[in-house]
Amino acid sequence: MSASYAILTDTTLCTGCEKCVEACKQENSLGKDLPRPWQKRIDDLSSTRYSTILRRSGAHFVRQQCRHCLEPACVSACLVGAMKKTEEGPVIYDGDRCMGCRYCMMACPYGIPRYDWDEPVPYVQKCDMCYQRLKKGKQPACVEACPEKATIFGYRDDLLKEAHKRIATYPGKYLNKVYGETEIGGTSVLYLSDISLDFLTFKPELGDKPLPERTMAALSKVPPLILGMGGLMTGIWWFIGRRMKIAAEADEESQK
Amino acid sequence: MLKTVLWAIVGILATVTMARFLRGLGATTALSDSTPWGFWIAFDVMAGVALAAGGFVLAATVYIFGREKYRSFARPAILTAFLGYIAVAVGLMYDLGLPWHIWHPIVYPQYHSVLFEVAACVILYLTVLFFEFGPVILEHPVFHRPVFRKIHQILKKIAIPLVITGIVLSTLHQSSLGSLFLIAPYRLHPLWYSPIIWVLFFISAVGLGLMMVTAESFFSAWFFGHKLKMNFLSGLGKAASVVLLFYFGVRLADIAGRGLLAMAFDGSWQSILFLLELSISAIIPAGMLLFKKIRLSPVGLAACSGMTILGMIGYRFDVCIVAFSRPEGMSYFPSWMEVAVSVGIVAIAMLVFIFFVEKLKVYPEDEEEDHDGKMKEEAHFDPATMRNLMPKSLATPRRYSLAFIGSAALAIAFLPLDSLFGEQYTKTPVSKTTTIEGWQKKRSNKFGHELYLIDAKPDVAPDGEQLNLLMIDGNRDGRLVLFPHDRHSETLGQKDSCRQCHHQNLPFDKNTSCYECHSEMYTTTDIFDHSSHIQKLGGNQGCVRCHQDQSEIKARNTSLACAECHTSMVVQDTFIKLPKKEMRGFAVGYMDAMHGMCITCHQQKIEKESHKYGSNFADCTNCHRDIDASQLHEVEPYAIMRSPHEKLIESRGTVERHAGN
Repeated sequence: MSASYAILTDTTLCTGCEKCVEACKQENSLGKDLPRPWQKRIDDLSSTRYSTILRRSGAHFVRQQCRHCLEPACVSACLVGAMKKTEEGPVIYDGDRCMGCRYCMMACPYGIPRYDWDEPVPYVQKCDMCYQRLKKGKQPACVEACPEKATIFGYRDDLLKEAHKRIATYPGKYLNKVYGETEIGGTSVLYLSDISLDFLTFKPELGDKPLPERTMAALSKVPPLILGMGGLMTGIWWFIGRRMKIAAEADEESQK
Repeated sequence: MLKTVLWAIVGILATVTMARFLRGLGATTALSDSTPWGFWIAFDVMAGVALAAGGFVLAATVYIFGREKYRSFARPAILTAFLGYIAVAVGLMYDLGLPWHIWHPIVYPQYHSVLFEVAACVILYLTVLFFEFGPVILEHPVFHRPVFRKIHQILKKIAIPLVITGIVLSTLHQSSLGSLFLIAPYRLHPLWYSPIIWVLFFISAVGLGLMMVTAESFFSAWFFGHKLKMNFLSGLGKAASVVLLFYFGVRLADIAGRGLLAMAFDGSWQSILFLLELSISAIIPAGMLLFKKIRLSPVGLAACSGMTILGMIGYRFDVCIVAFSRPEGMSYFPSWMEVAVSVGIVAIAMLVFIFFVEKLKVYPEDEEEDHDGKMKEEAHFDPATMRNLMPKSLATPRRYSLAFIGSAALAIAFLPLDSLFGEQYTKTPVSKTTTIEGWQKKRSNKFGHELYLIDAKPDVAPDGEQLNLLMIDGNRDGRLVLFPHDRHSETLGQKDSCRQCHHQNLPFDKNTSCYECHSEMYTTTDIFDHSSHIQKLGGNQGCVRCHQDQSEIKARNTSLACAECHTSMVVQDTFIKLPKKEMRGFAVGYMDAMHGMCITCHQQKIEKESHKYGSNFADCTNCHRDIDASQLHEVEPYAIMRSPHEKLIESRGTVERHAGN
């Protein structure tokens, strides 16, 4: 994953102009955001808005989007492989495979994937880091649109270096932490911030352990469980059958 | 009577089914992005699979552990499991967004997904159940042919391997349903999120399975008039009490092991829910079942099985919905249609169960009892009323279809509008702008002005210039735009400038406020009152006044535009050129109207007088400089809201905003 792409957002540089949101909407031809019961805003993301600016007190602007985790929970959750982590970095979605179970939405620790609730033929909607543009050698639309260079694009390793350089160059300006460097295995969307970004997740403290590991712990017990349960049941059946046979024979003998 | 009720429920299901598949999930459910899994997954899938656990538990008891005395329970239990799993699959078809892709797990298997394991096991187990139940179907006289007899024999021979496969598959997916939640450690409450949640799901399913078999016996005793075999049932109860106590022990050990015992008693609603759930599902029934007296009394046993079933369904609901966290301010309560679908599927399953019991030998001992005897009634003539009475066998289907159609029709009446007509938005009426006193101060080094509310920043007031501000908060979420109306008219040319923005007026009005026509925040509104026009123009005589072309259909696009009669309504030489079709009584949404007008004008200003206005004069943040209501007091330059508006914001609670493009 060393050569994978990533996005670094420096929240201290963001002015909240929402040019990125506009560019994202144009690039993905997303329609207008209309008020629907399921779109009652919490973080403004919706099936027609893959990226948005969260405003926090004291003129802090934090861009919300898919984190493109290095070991994504949504990918491990998907039972048909509709979610896929690409070599380039983005986590992409294939609607032709999706069966609409929405387990990815349950699994995402950041609560990112959205659903076309108002469509009879609904799909999951989320940022794909403009995967089609990346393949053409272009930057994601949001990065290209940012007038303040608050959100930049590049190789993940380079961006991490850049982030640490900024923290070192401007001591005190940032929290000494690159959000997304290690959380739940690391993400391809990194944040530099002067305020805590814990509000972006359901729980403030995310461990560094990737979520799929937790599932694998249970899944790894499946083969022994099959063998154990099958063997146990066969054993009991054989044992009890034999015991009953002996009992029946003894019965017969006593009757004689 | 029960069948009639069941058919009526199925009728409701039929109506809701149409709404669900024609209009989608949003129109029929209360699901949202914060609650992707709701009632259907919790009840139809999670609880449904657990309730059908009786099949494998009884199969194990009879075929593996050789407890022959329970053999009479095995068949109905396997039938219930079979129907239960079909019901799960049917319920899933409603819940899946793209149900026609339900076969995809078979062709795109993903071994890292727990859900794939569940799907694979359920598919395989359904097949196993079909073969386990196969002999019962083949006993029907229709299948009395050598071929079927052969199949029957084969199925009987492979019964034991089938049962063992079934047990293994059940163990896997009953536990995996719990493992599904392992991936959401940050969302599921710690009292329910456990690394061994899959063990808990499995043990609780075994206990629930035993109690379900008990409940089924009570049902068949009540409905089919079978005799209750209390001594056998008490045996099941005894086993259930052991399993439930074991479940309770493991659950408690798990909580204690993770050091959460204090949390379970801290009095939060989660802890109360946890204790309540655990008491109803395990502690009380298991404790009661320890007493032989209760086990042998039908009432006691029924109460215990009822509690366990309720409690274990509750466990699934807690994990899936109640204890699953969602963003603050978001909640979920199922719509009646979600409940109707789940209940409807259960009703169908019960009808099929009854059908099978009536036609096949599901209860092996009941061969002597003749059910058909009651049904064979010939048509007869009633001499007293001179009427030909229908045979009962015809009368009942009529009653059932009547119940079905009647309730289906009734359900249509209760369908919400959006499931009938599709897209319905939450209406967002625009609120009137408020005029307040404010201060305007020249920005020190930038273009433009800073605006302050009058009592917010008293210290800056002296350098500034006092003026009236319009507080625009169209969708009433506290995200204000302060609009210096006087300043606009001043810069744009005093009285001559009104027409630049105010392009239409109501009769006898000079400058109608925007919100009076653009009364909806996001969607186009109708501002034409047809009935009052009919009245004013003299009833039917007046039609031709607007619908002039007699050859055309009388519709809005073929009639006169408003401005053709109401010439004074349209402001002379207005800058805003309206498209013709909008002059027929439609006003675009407030947001579009304002954005269209303000942004266009601001952009023109940049182009023409760039030296006077900065390049960011047309940016969103030029007007929208605020944050949201909860943070207003910290925001420069708008500072604290001290107006009637503030109360409005507080009373509304959560902030809702729907930004446009």
